[in-house]
Amino acid sequence: MTNPILLFLSTVTVALLLVGVLSGFVPRAVAGFATIGLSGLGVLLCLLSLVSGAATNVLAIPIGPPGRSLQLALDPIAAYFLLVVFLGGTAVAAGACRTGQAATGKLKADTSRADTSRAGTAAAGTSGAGTSRELMAIPLCLAGFSTVLLASDAVTLVVGLTLASATYSLLDDAAPLAHALPPSSATKRQAIRSPIAVPAVLLLLIALCLLAPFGSASNFDGIHAVPVDPNRTTAAVGLAIVGGLSLLRHIRSGHHWTHDAFMAGAAIPCVLYLLVRLVLDLPGVLQAWWGFALLLAGGTIAVANGWQAARHPELDGSVACLTRRQAGLAVIGLGLSLIARSADLPDAASFGLAASLLLTIGSGVAGTLASLAAHALGRGAGSYRLARLGGLVQSMPIASVSLAASLLALSALPPGVGFAALWLLFQAILSAPRTGGLVFQLPLGLTAAALALSSALATAASVRLIGIAILSRPRSVRGSAAREVGSGLPAILLTLSGFSILLGLLPGLVLKALADPVVRALIGTGLGARAGWATLSTSAASPGYAALPLLALLALTIASVILIARRFRNESRIAGVWNEGLAPSPNMPFGDPVTQSAGAGFVPALPAIGWSTEGAPAAEPAAAGPRASAVPFPSLRNALMRRLTPAGQSPSSRLPATIIGLWAIVLAFSALLLVLSLFDASGIPG
Amino acid sequence: MSVIISIVAEMLHLALMVLAPLVVAGIMDWLDARLAGREGLPILLPWRNLVRLSRKTAVVPESASRVLSLAPAISLGTTFTAAALVPSFTLGMALAPLADGLVVASLLSMARVAGSLGALDTGTAASGVAAQHGSALAVLAEPALLLFVFSLALMGGSFNLDLIIGQQREGMLLPAAASAVALTSLLALVFAEASDTSAGLDLDYSGIDLAVSHATVWLRRLVWIDLIGALFLPIGMAAPDEGLMQWGTGLLCWVAKLAIAVICLCCSRTLLGRVARRDMADLAGIAVLLALLAAIMVLASEGTV
Repeated sequence: MTNPILLFLSTVTVALLLVGVLSGFVPRAVAGFATIGLSGLGVLLCLLSLVSGAATNVLAIPIGPPGRSLQLALDPIAAYFLLVVFLGGTAVAAGACRTGQAATGKLKADTSRADTSRAGTAAAGTSGAGTSRELMAIPLCLAGFSTVLLASDAVTLVVGLTLASATYSLLDDAAPLAHALPPSSATKRQAIRSPIAVPAVLLLLIALCLLAPFGSASNFDGIHAVPVDPNRTTAAVGLAIVGGLSLLRHIRSGHHWTHDAFMAGAAIPCVLYLLVRLVLDLPGVLQAWWGFALLLAGGTIAVANGWQAARHPELDGSVACLTRRQAGLAVIGLGLSLIARSADLPDAASFGLAASLLLTIGSGVAGTLASLAAHALGRGAGSYRLARLGGLVQSMPIASVSLAASLLALSALPPGVGFAALWLLFQAILSAPRTGGLVFQLPLGLTAAALALSSALATAASVRLIGIAILSRPRSVRGSAAREVGSGLPAILLTLSGFSILLGLLPGLVLKALADPVVRALIGTGLGARAGWATLSTSAASPGYAALPLLALLALTIASVILIARRFRNESRIAGVWNEGLAPSPNMPFGDPVTQSAGAGFVPALPAIGWSTEGAPAAEPAAAGPRASAVPFPSLRNALMRRLTPAGQSPSSRLPATIIGLWAIVLAFSALLLVLSLFDASGIPG
Repeated sequence: MSVIISIVAEMLHLALMVLAPLVVAGIMDWLDARLAGREGLPILLPWRNLVRLSRKTAVVPESASRVLSLAPAISLGTTFTAAALVPSFTLGMALAPLADGLVVASLLSMARVAGSLGALDTGTAASGVAAQHGSALAVLAEPALLLFVFSLALMGGSFNLDLIIGQQREGMLLPAAASAVALTSLLALVFAEASDTSAGLDLDYSGIDLAVSHATVWLRRLVWIDLIGALFLPIGMAAPDEGLMQWGTGLLCWVAKLAIAVICLCCSRTLLGRVARRDMADLAGIAVLLALLAAIMVLASEGTV
């Protein structure tokens, strides 16, 4: 008998599809609330499935060739990721409803004042259309992601992926609200790729077909029952990794809040699900090198996106990079879990997997919140560029506090969920197998370095965003006129902030209640005593990380300092804007914006590689030409700078010549590693 | 009974963390002056400065938010939390289960973040530049500290400081070469930190906020010294549940270690001079590489072919 939860979830998926198709024929409020209700119901159903420990169930839908059917299945893995997707979808749908009502209200206010300006006319034209398109795309996108997560065979998976990616790109084309920003620049349009991630979908389809035994349908039950030979499995896993990562690359941020919020709340969890399913679950035999490939990919994604987040000139772009960085960390967790499983170390494998699952739900909630808050701040201040923001904590306190709460979760500071995941990742490296000599241990050390570096970059990015956009003085007249978001959006932001903070304070409880079934399904043993309701630890007797007691200790010490300081504090004297001793300009009542930081310089500049003609003195143009073609290294540096520099920014300048000493140390370090790798543990050359 | 002993030990430790930073700051200033051939300031001058600043009226920029007044308190509270977790004269204190190396490193980062946010909130150019510079330096310094903690955890088998120190007391933090490289990495960080006291983040503080900021810098320096002394020289530290005699021995050894650290720091600053701000990134980068090398040396020594 089919599990009723699976039946209801399938019904929810079909209902979302219908709501999306019929959204143009029903009132916008009806479509919006229907989407909210259905995705909220999806959250409850997934929670019920995880908590009740329902067994895996398959539902065959008689659509397709004779003898074949589309298959849907609900197991703990699908239920967990579906929970995250529906949670993000509920928040996005609620935000779309509230924002649409706000736009409608403003439109009515404008027209009631007989506003015949071009902006008013534009408002009449674009606001309604944009909101309608969002309310059509959101339920269709949710239906697509839901189909992917419930799919139990290759055809259903491909259908879901096609629907999800096609409707995801519709969110790109949704017109901006009338009181929002001008349309995206040409640079942004180049970032929008083809609607459907065709190469990625094809790669995943081929991977599934390779995993299926000859002569059988490529459904998951058949793959589990009869594992194929290792060569086909290896090829399938390789294609699945490439397909999953290219799907992650296909997900780019735009200047539209629904696109960014869906990226964080639904698209990234869906990609991570595909990697879990195709790399950890379906293949019968696991090989350690797959894990190393995931470590390399995840480390690169985490560090590169952390770097971009700390340098991106725009608020929403920086937030999107921080969300993608979390995806990179989750991929690292999957890689560590795979390496430990291949060495038959279930405890170590559970750490890596738990970290990935915690990062999935943490970035789903916090990433969605950060996107909503960033776009609310950008819309309110009239610009997304950090150099034009500032002082928003005074005029938009709720959106500012929500952004700060989300950045606490996306960075690696305790007691945020990001720190709990980082702790688990380091524990996974600590527990990883110690076999294979330096060749196999070096990637683990470099992974630890990547984790540490990306955490520092995320912290720098968070300080930059809060310090520039939220604190200090307004940097533009438009920014000084920002008003707090209204019409129910503050409630959504505060609710998501509460969830985000709770995830950080109770990571053990979240893992025990929600992720333990997934860990048990993939590894065979649960988390056990490693995840208590208030702590994360390596075993029942050993100490670990306890977020709640740490928060209590922090609150006690900080409150004590505040009380002691208040006891001795005299009444402060308010001084005017300090303009570094210069006479204040009468035209700039908020002070000269140039005297404030504009968001540059929060990360060190990349060092020069060899010598470069970039920045060569203008007095020697003749020497620069032929020399440039003869020097091999500048192209590498330029390529690296282009890769890591956000669009619209010029690459940073070189450091002074003292960096040569640092590079000499790097070369000596590399030579030492090479020499060490030639010797085995007993000191005998090998 | 052991719970009461651990709580008493923790209270004593907290009292040390409240009193010692002021005395250490005064002694360091006096010793710096004497090594430079000057008379030297009174040792209790830092305490008198705190009292004097607390009586002053604070001047707050018109555009600043509540963050400006809360940032120094958050910074000091977070640093004090880290100080409470790092053991000084005994193991097995009440907060020992929370004394995770990653947590301590992250708490020190949080303190710096709070100071940077306070500096950015003032809206002035100098504080903004100081916050930018501090953040850029932290991108290298924080990974160095995390990798240092990671390499010690690889050697000790856990991130908990009490367990690592217990292994060190039994001489089981091997290989010794990796331990030495990790220590060098931490010393590089401490030297850079000692050269750049408040990093210019408190330029726009005044009154009680400035006093709290100074106290944070002194306490942070003491946390670094405690960390090195506990992890690499746990001589005389009392084991959990030992009596007052062992506590007394532990206290004496802690004072001796503190004195040695202060003398070494002042001598190195006199002989080598303070690290120029433009060279701090290089020093932090070297610390990262050394910490990574220590981790790889441990992994290579444990990995079997």
